Amino acid sequence: MTNAVLEVRNLKVAFPAPGGVIRAVEGIDLTTKKGECVALVGESGCGKSVTALSVMKLLRTPPSVSRIDELRLDGRDLTHLPERDMERIRGKDMAMIFQDAMTALNPVMTVGKQIDEVYRRHTKLSRKQARKETVKALELVGVPEARSRADSFPHELSGGMRQRVLIALAFACMPKLIIADEPTTSLDVTIQAQVLDVLKSMQRDHDVSALLITHDLSVVANMADTVYVMYSGKIVERAAVLELFTDPWHPYTEGLLASVPRLSDDKQAFVQIPDTVPHPMHKPDGCYFHPRCSHGGPRCEQHMPRLQTLQNGRQIRCWHPLHQERVT
Amino acid sequence: MTVNGNWQHASNPLLEMEGVSVNFPVKRAYPFSKRRWIQAVTDVSLKISEGETFGIVGESGCGKSTLGNAMIGMIRPTAGAVRFQGQDLYALKPKAFKEARRSMQMIFQDPFSSLNPRFSVYDIIKEPMHIRGGASEAEMKAKVLELLKLVGLDEEDLYRNPSDFSGGQRQRIGIARAIVLNPKFLICDEPVSGLDVSVHAQIMNLLMEIQESRNLTYVFISHNLAVVKNICQNVLVMYLGKVMEAGTSDALFANPQHPYTKALLSAVLDVDVERSHDRILLEGDTPSPIDPPQGCRFWQRCPFAMNGCRTIPAELVELEDGHQIACHLVSGFPPDQTAAGLDRPVSA
Amino acid sequence: MSKRNVLLQVARRGGSFLSLAKKLWQHPKGRVGLILVSLLVLVAVLAPVLAPYDPYDVTQRAEKGLRPSLKHPLGTTITTGQDIFSMLIYGTRVSLMIGVSTGIILAFLGALMGVMAGYIGGFVDNLIMRVVDVLLVIPTLPLIIVLTGLLGRSYFVIVLVFVLFGWTGLARVIRSLVLVLKNSNYVKAAELAGASRWYIMTKHILPGTSHLIIMNTTLTCAGIMVAEAGLSFLGLGDPTAISWGKMLAEAQGGGALLFGAWWWILAPGAGIFLAVFSFMRIGIVMEEIFNPRMKASSGIYKLFKHLNNDYLDEVFDSMDDEEIADPPDHAGPAVLEGGHD
Repeated sequence: MTNAVLEVRNLKVAFPAPGGVIRAVEGIDLTTKKGECVALVGESGCGKSVTALSVMKLLRTPPSVSRIDELRLDGRDLTHLPERDMERIRGKDMAMIFQDAMTALNPVMTVGKQIDEVYRRHTKLSRKQARKETVKALELVGVPEARSRADSFPHELSGGMRQRVLIALAFACMPKLIIADEPTTSLDVTIQAQVLDVLKSMQRDHDVSALLITHDLSVVANMADTVYVMYSGKIVERAAVLELFTDPWHPYTEGLLASVPRLSDDKQAFVQIPDTVPHPMHKPDGCYFHPRCSHGGPRCEQHMPRLQTLQNGRQIRCWHPLHQERVT
Repeated sequence: MTVNGNWQHASNPLLEMEGVSVNFPVKRAYPFSKRRWIQAVTDVSLKISEGETFGIVGESGCGKSTLGNAMIGMIRPTAGAVRFQGQDLYALKPKAFKEARRSMQMIFQDPFSSLNPRFSVYDIIKEPMHIRGGASEAEMKAKVLELLKLVGLDEEDLYRNPSDFSGGQRQRIGIARAIVLNPKFLICDEPVSGLDVSVHAQIMNLLMEIQESRNLTYVFISHNLAVVKNICQNVLVMYLGKVMEAGTSDALFANPQHPYTKALLSAVLDVDVERSHDRILLEGDTPSPIDPPQGCRFWQRCPFAMNGCRTIPAELVELEDGHQIACHLVSGFPPDQTAAGLDRPVSA
Repeated sequence: MSKRNVLLQVARRGGSFLSLAKKLWQHPKGRVGLILVSLLVLVAVLAPVLAPYDPYDVTQRAEKGLRPSLKHPLGTTITTGQDIFSMLIYGTRVSLMIGVSTGIILAFLGALMGVMAGYIGGFVDNLIMRVVDVLLVIPTLPLIIVLTGLLGRSYFVIVLVFVLFGWTGLARVIRSLVLVLKNSNYVKAAELAGASRWYIMTKHILPGTSHLIIMNTTLTCAGIMVAEAGLSFLGLGDPTAISWGKMLAEAQGGGALLFGAWWWILAPGAGIFLAVFSFMRIGIVMEEIFNPRMKASSGIYKLFKHLNNDYLDEVFDSMDDEEIADPPDHAGPAVLEGGHD
């Protein structure tokens, strides 16, 4: 596994609350390879954002409590790394693109200054040199008139522009891993297409590994190489993107794919998954998905299926995965 | 619900808009500087027949929400007329106005801010009845219970607080509130945008069921083209306050003509991984609706912009039955514009 | 509205007050504030019972300048021979009465102005805000002095000026909130159903500001108590009433420092401090209660202190996959072997 950039083993996160414990993440493993874009897909409340923050070790105790067996970035063991060393890694080797640019950017600092900061913190550049790099970074992400735009404040820029600034911030020091948490959800359709294009080309051109957190399957289809499907804190399926979309094994994945209306459809009713996601404090016995699943059996109500890994890399957590039913 | 394809010639439409424009004044920097205007909606005409689902599509800033608000009497248009059931809505006397609006309601985008957090579910759904008056407490309670069941909630949810519910459930409460007065006309302003993907389908199915059983007319405002394609008979594509293209859903999606519509459709990321298509990526960002560009409002981002597009506004021209478009590229320049070099592409 | 409905409304309001009090009690700092305020109120109400002497009664004067003793726990004043301890107790009445009553009047006035300015907007908004601007500029102290000269020294003048000028702060804050609430979708929904402006103001806007009003008023009361003490110290209050500020003035003028009667200065000072402190405590804790983001940080620390590590371990262990053998009916691909799907 020398090609691995991110290795997460057995991450568990819980949030104690009056009345119980919120089981946000229940023991997940993640790996990304160099230059690979890995997507973590799930709905709100499934624990994916918490996972992203855990990888960056940005979760505070309190309010969270987390356990992790192993966290490696490009071979380096970060599991027990003290905070001071983590600060040197964040921004330089590992960077994050947040969903909402308005809250991720400092409103009283020009965008140029914010990107300069990253350079000056992690490299030995002078102020002038850092500004040169900043302008280059802004040009790279497609901000027109980068030199003068660098002196704008975040609120003076449009949504798409701000998102590009976030991308420039993240790529500034050419990190090994970029974590993008819903990078385009709040943007308009045409702007979304632009921004994703930039992200994709940046990632591919510089061979940067990416962890893409999203609930939007269409973004996944267009950007990811490998997909992890997360449900209520657990990974229920993992597959290469093409396989996942053409041959989903987990009933939840199938339901998710079916419920997304497509332009290519002829008019049809909306396929829905009945009921809702389980409450993070009161999860059902057995498989968390079984109350909504139409493929289940008696076993599903009693025992949580184990996550099984196949040689070709596919993973599935289900007692009655779909591909078996097709074979028989 | 099949509706006559040529919707512009619909006889006896339920709602009709003729040349509607809505402008908002921008607060002046200092008292005597020139007044600037946000041209939120400019010269929009449409006809909506009873029982149909009419789609309005566009990105943020295109004026679709403003248009929706103007339809139901929330915003008085600066110009043009809105006719509901034949009557000019804004010319009605207050009493008649109130009576007309009884048949109109709206479902909002954000399920978290559309319900008063201090009210109980019962209060929220009964409120329209309470405001209108004329029903006893017992009658109101019965109606609320009936609607709760209809939208898939329980009787025990009656006295709970909105904060106890998920986004999808809150939207259901909002839907119940919207239909409690038995309206005929419902504006759905991005009803599922703020919800999880797997809940979209539930809410959409609920909306469709309700429409079917009560013969409601919907105006569906969204930026989600796939959903619009599935449920709307007629669609309007808006950009910066003007209609770029309009037509039946079939015609528009099968054969989009306007460069903006094409870009919008190609920008919609498809979940079909196997189909890769050339994406038309638009340059630049949406300009501000304050003092929009002269000429065609889309010219600055249009990959096919010509010199004439900069100065000559594009008017809606009918292509074929029911399919309108506002684009010089497709319909040519108006015959009275004869200056030379109009059709030369804009140099970058 | 039917009588029953009115009662229900009051019950609900009262209920929410009770629940607020309960939340305050649960918070450690809030508990302190609540206890102190209750104590102060008790003292003020039961002053005649608690005070050993009636400082207003001229016949109950003792020897002047006595040091603290069993008979006079805080001694007597150098100037008049009144029992300082009794004066301290009676002083509570003045402070609390002025503080709380003015606070409540200001709450009404400020809220009314704020809601009108915010909701009605336009000309009304402009008018009210310009009035606020003017009022903020006028210096209140010289005005009180002038009015006192005209109308004589009394608390009426002080309260009048407070009320005339003090509503501006709350009005501004409420107006900002109202501007936000005005655009809520639920307000729009009510408007769509044909609600009158009055309905929306009373049913949606005003309840939405109640938290802010209560919090602001509590802090305002504290501020007024300090201001009143200061004004009484300057001699602008009712010369016949017993207030802590006046006690301080007397102490200073009567030469307490000269004679080393530090208790005469400390007592009213402590009184002022306690009153203001308790109200501010409650106000600050209320802000924490109402602001959900702040609430998270305060409550969670307490939760974590009492966290049982074994319980957490149990929770985490339950997240592991079960170690069970594959039963015969599970014909799935074996772990890490084969699998050529």
